[in-house]
Formats: sequence, C-alpha cells, structure tokens
Amino acid sequence: MSGVGGLRNVEAWRTRIPRYRFLGARCKSCGKLHYPPLKACPYCGSRDLEEAQLPRQGRLLAFTSVYSVEEGGREESPIFVGLIDLGVARVVAELTDVTDPSRLAAGIPVEAVFRRISEEDDEGVIVYGVKFRPVPGAGEGD
Amino acid sequence: MPVSVKSVGLTRIDRHYNKGVYDLAVEAVDDALKDSGAEPSYLVASTSASLLLEPQLDLASYLASHLGLRGSRALAVEAGEASGLAAILAGYRLAISTGERVLVVGVDKLSDLPSASVHAALKHVFYRYGDALYKVGHAAVAGLLASLYMDRFGVDRETMSYWPAMMHSHAKENPYAMLRFAVKPEKVATAMPVASPLTLLDMFPLGDGAAAVLLDPQGGGLAEIASVESSTGPASIAFSEDPLWLDAVEESWRRALSTAGVNGVEVLEIHDSYTIMGLLILETLRLAERGKAAELVAEGAFTVGGSGPLVNASGGLKARGHPVGATGVYMAAEVAMQLADVFPGVKADDAKTGAAVSINGHGSSAYTAIFRST
Ligand SMILES: [Zn+2]
Repeated sequence: MSGVGGLRNVEAWRTRIPRYRFLGARCKSCGKLHYPPLKACPYCGSRDLEEAQLPRQGRLLAFTSVYSVEEGGREESPIFVGLIDLGVARVVAELTDVTDPSRLAAGIPVEAVFRRISEEDDEGVIVYGVKFRPVPGAGEGD
Repeated sequence: MPVSVKSVGLTRIDRHYNKGVYDLAVEAVDDALKDSGAEPSYLVASTSASLLLEPQLDLASYLASHLGLRGSRALAVEAGEASGLAAILAGYRLAISTGERVLVVGVDKLSDLPSASVHAALKHVFYRYGDALYKVGHAAVAGLLASLYMDRFGVDRETMSYWPAMMHSHAKENPYAMLRFAVKPEKVATAMPVASPLTLLDMFPLGDGAAAVLLDPQGGGLAEIASVESSTGPASIAFSEDPLWLDAVEESWRRALSTAGVNGVEVLEIHDSYTIMGLLILETLRLAERGKAAELVAEGAFTVGGSGPLVNASGGLKARGHPVGATGVYMAAEVAMQLADVFPGVKADDAKTGAAVSINGHGSSAYTAIFRST
C-alpha cells in the first residue's frame, strides 16, 4: 500500500474518541449540532462549542454505490455511502450490512453501528468508527 | 494599467508515461514564453495530487532551476482541485502589488500509479476526519449529490447525460484535450458505474498536463484580468442547508462580478469533475433555474449558437481533462485565448468578457477569474 490512504497510527489513536462514541459538537451560539466536531460551528462560525452526543437513528436522504474505490477497498466494492438525516444534524457515512442493495432508498430508517473503517498495512493500524445500517426488520422505506 | 494575460502555453493532457512533472511544466512554460522575450520576476507554481503521489516539496524552486530562472522569486500554491485558479489569484495580486511580471505554472501527474492509488490520494480533497475517512475514493460525494439532485428535481438520468456528450463534442475540436472523441448521450448511463447514478462517462479522465500563463502589469497580450476572487464553503455537504447550492461558488462569483463591474460573461470555463458539479455550478451562477440545467444543456443552450454563454468550449474537466493542480491554469489560458480569438477549438463569436470558475471537491472553496478582451 502506498500510504496515501487512511489515518496514521498515532493520529488514529488521538482522534478516536469522537469516532468511538459518535460525539459531535453543539454550538452554544446557534444551538446546531455537527459531526465530526470542528473547532468552530459550520453554520454560524462561533467558537463556543460543547461536546454533544449524536442520535444513533436517522433516515437516509441519499445514497450512492461507489465502484471507483481506492486501494484496500476493491474486494468490498461496491461500497455504499449515505447522506443521513439525524434530525438534529446530517452526516455522511459508509452504509454497512447492506444485504439487499435494491432496498436502499431515500427515506429508509438507518442506525449507527460501531465498525472497522480501515486497516493500514504499512503500520498495522486499524481504524474504528461509526457506519450506518438499514434498521433490521424495518419496511421498504416510505 | 490592468494586469493582462500576456501569453499562455499548454501541453495536451494525456497519459504522458514518458514525461514527468518537470518535463511537462518546462514544455508549457517554453510555449508561453516563446514570443514574449522577458523573464518573469515571480514564479507561482500550482500542483496538488502529485504532492501525494510523487512527493516533491518546494516544487517551485526546483522548477525554477529546470527553467534556468536563477534567483527568481518562486513559491507554490495548493488548494486541491482549485489550485490552478488559486495560483492565478496569487499571481494576479502579486503582479498588481509589485508591478512585476508573474509566471503562473500549473502541473500535475495522475497517470503513473494505478487508479486505485490515485483515488486514495484524490479523496483527500475532502475533509480527512470526515467525508474522506471511509475507503470511498473521490467520487462518493458527487454520487450523493447526483442522487439528491435527481430525487429533488425529478431530473432523469438520460437528461443529465447531455452534459458529457456536449463536453466531448467540444473536446473533439480542442488539440489540447485528452478525450477527442464524440460520446452519444445514450451511452452514458450504461457505462461502467463509478458512484451511482454516475458512470465513468460522467467523470474526468486521469491524465497529466501542464499549463502556463504569463501575467503582465504592463498590459497587452491576449486579455485583461478584470478580477480574481474566491470564497470558502462548508467542510462537508452534511454541513450545508442545501448541498445542491454551492455557497462558495455563489460568493466568489458575486465578488468577482462586482469587482469587475459586469453582470455576466459570454464565455465560461467551469469545474465539471463530474456531470453533477457542472450542472450545480450552472445553477448557482443562475445560468439555469434550479433543476433545469440538464434540460438547458440538452437543448444546446451552452454550446455555439445557444441562448446562454458558451460553456467549456475546451471540453471541460470531463473531456479536456483534469490534471488537478493544473486545471485552473488551463481554464484561465483558454478563456484568455477565446477573448483574443485564438482558441484553437470551438470558438465564442466575438466575445468581450469571459470567466473561469474552479472549485475543490464539493465546493470547500471556489475561485472565479473574470477576463475582458484588450
Ligand atoms: Zn453556530
């Protein structure tokens, strides 16, 4: 692997907490939440933020099946990616446990699960974090 | 005296296996300087993907050595996919403030490594701890935007396919373009999928190229620069109230028009890394109503004889090509050539004003340069 890809060892460790706990930030100025947490609110620019737990249930706004994936992703291709509406925030995340791609549709309920995101051969670091899956047993979407 | 684009030099975009970054850059510069005689005082280099694929730090100084520009003032600019026009902005401001000639050179090489490695590098145009965290390459965000767009505006896949068809019909006439062949719209939807609903025919090809532009505060040459502006945008499409409206593009365009004192332009080069980005930029520039850009493209509004400005006469990123850090410099050179009536491809008839609009990724930043004929 060329090493242009994922997070480095120390970097992955340093940045793990928001990914492991799905922690975003709430803006004390405008009240909006975002994830992953930046150092300023993406909506109003305020630096006055506090840690905030993101909800784990949401709805799929849009999805894409990605075939032009990078090295290390070929065997899993296509990789499904969604824009997810959590009510209080939106996130872009990989979709997992997609057993039947034909059931992916805008509007279906999805939920956060903790998964392996990537594995870098050159340093042996495994990056974990949140992916989303269609809620098992939920209907076809609306 | 306004700063002018004195001369330009371009290499054909291609898979140049036998040429490296310096070979291509020197070729473009030689082409740009062959008639002008005078040496520039400043060299502003622009490169992006190559910084990850074939690392070279302080590229501008090494390039100056290759060019024999000993003792010149050299620096590099990096702004992802918008690097080239960012370098034009930096070069333009330098030319104004110093009164000296500035040579802007964009160069990038994408064809030396397998495409999976290139996608791994290119995904870093997105935020490292956000949208770029997953193994999704460069196309995922464009796929999401295209999917949202079709859903929200009820645009069908076939209508969007007229964009790449128009780009190929333009590129066919452009000797610098990478993909000089026609593509029928009905072939687009069924081509190899890249990020659904987008296919390989909606996406730029991975090629190498270099472009050079000599900026001269003494005026003369191909065209005058009326303004160069930029704006940053959201760090993710998830942070945008309406990801189908490109805030950074709107603001950079508004600023550039206002500084230039014009209401619009007759010839345009815009960033169409994927079909959807071209359509969203057309709508954000208010050249089409929301959800109507594809329909207008299909009607021929943005080609020769159409009702709108001539858009991407070069063939765009889609078919001229997108050597990432060089693309904005190509755009600036092409628009300047159009205004001097020397563009060697599809021509805007007697155009007096033109613009280049470049963005990074989903619009984390946007740059607009406005030119007028001399
Ligand atoms: Zn805020």
